[in-house]
Amino acid sequence: MLGTLIGIPVLALLAVLQSSLLSHIRLLDGRPDAVLLAVVGWSVVGRTNEAIGWGFIGGSFLDLFSGVPFGSTAIALVLVAYLVSFPEGRFWESHVVMPLGVMLVASTVFHVLGIGTLVLVGHPIDLEVALTRVLLPSTFMNLVLILPTIQVANSVTQRLFPPEVKI
Amino acid sequence: MSRTSSRTLIASALIILALSLLALSAAGYLQPAESLVVRPLSALQSWTATRYAAIRDFITSPSDVTTLRQRNAELEAEVARLQQQVIGLQEQQAEATILAVLLKYAREQPESSYQASKVIGRDVSPFLRSIWIGSGSDQGIARGMPVATDRGLVGRVIEVRASVSRVQLITDPEAAVNLRFQQSRADGVLAAQLNGELWVDLIDQNAEIAQGELVLTSGLGGGFPADIPIGRVLSVRKRDYELFQQAVIQPTVEFDNLDIVLVITNFLPVGVSDGAQ
Repeated sequence: MLGTLIGIPVLALLAVLQSSLLSHIRLLDGRPDAVLLAVVGWSVVGRTNEAIGWGFIGGSFLDLFSGVPFGSTAIALVLVAYLVSFPEGRFWESHVVMPLGVMLVASTVFHVLGIGTLVLVGHPIDLEVALTRVLLPSTFMNLVLILPTIQVANSVTQRLFPPEVKI
Repeated sequence: MSRTSSRTLIASALIILALSLLALSAAGYLQPAESLVVRPLSALQSWTATRYAAIRDFITSPSDVTTLRQRNAELEAEVARLQQQVIGLQEQQAEATILAVLLKYAREQPESSYQASKVIGRDVSPFLRSIWIGSGSDQGIARGMPVATDRGLVGRVIEVRASVSRVQLITDPEAAVNLRFQQSRADGVLAAQLNGELWVDLIDQNAEIAQGELVLTSGLGGGFPADIPIGRVLSVRKRDYELFQQAVIQPTVEFDNLDIVLVITNFLPVGVSDGAQ
């Protein structure tokens, strides 16, 4: 519950930064996705249920700053958070490549769902342009940023939720 | 209950909630709530955008000096050329003054009124080319109002909230602008490409379009006021077997560096009622 409550101001701030600041940091037309990074980072450090909640909250904030139908990004991020929660408890969870693999899947699914939504509402989308100018560059930047994001998420969870020790 | 089924339950519940919000938003019931949430966030957005612009200007200022010197040399050459034109134009001015007085009787052109507004953000979806400005219905902004800068047309307001509005840029593939070439007087329609290029389509095959020619809004269709600059012709594609020719244009506005825009508040496009959301 505490993690979800903390998520509200954090995700609101990230959505604002996504619109006002990160939209200028571009590789072709791709940008780092701050809210997606936060959701995936929170899930990878083990707060999977909260991460799903973060997906809903963060997606709703993003929808406020976008022309896409309200709720569509929230659905996409909930699905992404649900998907990336599956490695929890698996033996390869601690492997360094795992977060990169998770981010690769998460970023691809997130953008594919975004493209799908716009196609559904009739916005013209050139799939080749979307893939080469948006999806791939965004995914690349998300991959670069996921490891530091996990470090931050780890440090936050250890401060907020220190592991219980039996004496 | 296992952790996996608990997660599935949470995810399903939240997706159903999001779908409900989507339906409510589509029906327009969420507008007041959205405005309520956006108001404090837009203040934060505006603060961030201002700080970002200050830092960007500080970082890019040394390279701007070189650009400005180069630009100055270009403008000096332009001044020399224009001085020659001025002599010819002074002769024509005498005639034009008389014609203008006559025309004034026939057609009174109202002064445009503007609302200056800061650009506070961009659409978070990389697939939509729109910006958020820090003025909304509280400042008299209405859906459909054209947006420009001193350099040319930026776009049109397509979503209005109490304190912010969303402006669809003319570079968005969904934006359609009727335009006219300044010298050849040929009409066309702006067709923004998904890769960011600006094309002009539906140009008469017989029109002689020159490279560098200025492209202005035509005012046809009532979507935008006439004579707002849009761009200059970069290249023309003319094929005998096609019904129309096309041109690629370079926009006069630098869409990546928009800080302040002007909303033309006394113009509402045909088909949009005053105050419509």
